[in-house]
Amino acid sequence: MVKNWVFFLVLIAVINKNIYSQNIQILKFDALKQCIYNNSDTVYVVNFFASWCKPCIQEIPEFVKFASAIKNSKTKLVFVSLDSKNDQEKLLKIIQQYSLQNVYLLDETNANNWINKINKHWSGTIPATLIIKKGKHKKFFANVISYKTLFKLTK
Amino acid sequence: MKNTKSSSILWIALLIISTNAFAQKNNKDIVDFKLKNVDEKIVSLSSFTDAKGFIIVFTCNHCPFAKLYPPRLNDLNNKFKPLGVPLIAISSTDTMMYEEDTYPNMVIKANEEHFNFPYLFDEMQVVAKNFKAQKTPHAYVIWKENEKWIVKYNGAIDDNGMEPEKVTETYVSNAVNELLTNQPIKTSETKSIGCQIAFRRK
Repeated sequence: MVKNWVFFLVLIAVINKNIYSQNIQILKFDALKQCIYNNSDTVYVVNFFASWCKPCIQEIPEFVKFASAIKNSKTKLVFVSLDSKNDQEKLLKIIQQYSLQNVYLLDETNANNWINKINKHWSGTIPATLIIKKGKHKKFFANVISYKTLFKLTK
Repeated sequence: MKNTKSSSILWIALLIISTNAFAQKNNKDIVDFKLKNVDEKIVSLSSFTDAKGFIIVFTCNHCPFAKLYPPRLNDLNNKFKPLGVPLIAISSTDTMMYEEDTYPNMVIKANEEHFNFPYLFDEMQVVAKNFKAQKTPHAYVIWKENEKWIVKYNGAIDDNGMEPEKVTETYVSNAVNELLTNQPIKTSETKSIGCQIAFRRK
């Protein structure tokens, strides 16, 4: 009987882990670029954040609100986590808490190699948000952003 | 027509705001400061009479990226202080936002990590503003030229925060070595991820 229970708990743990790990795609910067820069009609809103970054977590509700407003539109919201791939526990909790979709974890150790490709004036502070239309940079914010601003800029 | 005009004014305004926020940090001269160290003594650049330059690191207790560096900061100070380039760490984060960064907690941190360099409390955030420091950790190398302190390097300490054993570029160390040997600085600015220093509104 106890054995069965242990098996059941392990099974739940494994299923849970799989469900949530499916929500994070770990990739390199070049692969990320291919996801967000293309000539389609899609407008990409890319939020750079990390689970350890307090202001990033504080602004997530704004993105959640935005996500429901852009349902069925050509705007796509993408989260790029700068957490360590070896420590995803806190990140998974946040994804679960806010039911975040399209979460990528950027697997790069030296930010100096890719930060300038996002915006040459960006020093690397997060949160930061990039808006891309037709494969071109439209707007970049190296700070917190409100639902209102997000909505206005992607309309 | 009116619309185009007002939108272009808006654009110019935005441009001015954004250039300000991203203002140039290198070649700027730094005003000396007086800040309280974790031993309660006041420290200034002028306290170091023989210094040729300084490694100034804006850091704090709470930031996970800053937490990766204390042993490396000790190493840098061990290596360069005897050569006339001491390291000074400064905490400028808003303690209203982060309890972990208050002065008593800075004292604890400095003891725990055996800091061999001053760890100064920039309570009013004026020094961070003067340097235009934006995040923790954010390192600067300043050098004495004509009795002024000029910023020669700003950015990351090295190219791998998470895995110190995999560092290939020691940016701060390289810049100091180049300055000590009168060579041009190969990399004078780098980018890294860090925790934003949120400036309090007055």
